[in-house]
Amino acid sequence: MEKPTKITITLPTNAYFISGIRDFTLALIRNTTNFAEKWAYRMQSVVDELCNNAIEFGSAQDSEIKVTFEHKEDEYIEITVEDTGTGKVKVKAADMQEIIEERTKDGYKFTELRGRGLAKIVKEWTDELEFSDKEGGGLIIRTRKYLKDPRYKSGLPESTATHLVLEV
Amino acid sequence: MAEANIVVEELPSKEPNSKAVLLTVSGQLDESNVDDKAKEVYKVFEDNPGKLSLIFDFAGLEYMNSKSIGYLTDWYGKIKEKGGELIIARTKPNITDILQVVGLTQLIKTYESLDEAKQALSTAASTAASAAAPAPTPATTATTPATAATPAETPKTNDETYQINQ
Repeated sequence: MEKPTKITITLPTNAYFISGIRDFTLALIRNTTNFAEKWAYRMQSVVDELCNNAIEFGSAQDSEIKVTFEHKEDEYIEITVEDTGTGKVKVKAADMQEIIEERTKDGYKFTELRGRGLAKIVKEWTDELEFSDKEGGGLIIRTRKYLKDPRYKSGLPESTATHLVLEV
Repeated sequence: MAEANIVVEELPSKEPNSKAVLLTVSGQLDESNVDDKAKEVYKVFEDNPGKLSLIFDFAGLEYMNSKSIGYLTDWYGKIKEKGGELIIARTKPNITDILQVVGLTQLIKTYESLDEAKQALSTAASTAASAAAPAPTPATTATTPATAATPAETPKTNDETYQINQ
C-alpha cells in the first residue's frame, strides 16, 4: 500500500507569510490530488483560518507555527496546524472543543468580528476536526477531508455530462 | 503580504438625504491587511453619517477570510440601522462559496452584475422615497389607484447549488 505524502512547513508567527501558504495549498490540491477545484479553494480557506488562529492566539510573535499536509492518493487530505502555546490566549484542547460545540449549535449568533473561522469554515468544510494538547504546551488542530468516503460530503470532482437526453 | 485595494465612488442617489456609494474591492483580503482596509470602509461611514447604501463590487476580489466576513456583517448592521441597503455584486465562485458557508447570502443580497445591483439599489431607494412621501390629504380625491411599488429584484443566492454540494 502506498504511503501518504507528508509535507511540513514551519513559519514565523506573522500573518505576512500566510498568503504564500494559501498559494501552496491551492497548487498542492489542484496538482497532486483528485479533489474538485472547489475543494482546492475550500481547503485554502481551511488552512488560512487554522494558521490565523494559531498566529493570533497560540504562538507568541517571536515564535512559530507548524503546518503539515498529508495526502493519501484517492483517500484524503489531512491538514494539521500546531502552535507553541506561547501566545496571548492559553486554551486547552478540551476548551476548544467546547467553544466549537457551542458555536455550531443551531441558532448560535455570531456577534463579533471573529469566531466564524473554525466554527463555520473549518468545521463545515472538513470531515474530521480534532484538538489535542502538545506536551510542553501548545495546541494541535488536525483536520481531514476525504475524497470519496460515502459517510462524508464528497470531495470528488463534479460529474460532467457525457451525453444529452433530448425530449421529443 | 497579500495585496488588496478598495476604490470608493459616490453614486447618484434617488433619495434625498441619503447617499449611495460603490466600493470596488480587488485582491486578497486576509489577516495581513483586512484591518487596514476596513478602516477605509469605516471612513465612508464617518463621511456619510446619515442614511447610507453601499454596493460592494467583488469582481476583482480573489480571497476573503472570516474576519473580512465579520466586518461585512458589522457594516450590514450599521447600514440597516439607518434604513440603507448593503448589496454585493459580481462575486467569484470561491467568494460566493465562502459567503454561503457562513450564511451571509441569507442576509445580504448578491447580484451577478453591477447593473443589476445598481438597479436593485435604485428600486429600493424609489420604494423608500414613495413610502416617505406625505400621504394625500382626505380632501384630495384620488382619480386613479396608487401604483404599487415595484419590489426589488429577487437576489440570486445559489442556495440550490450549495445544497447539492453538501
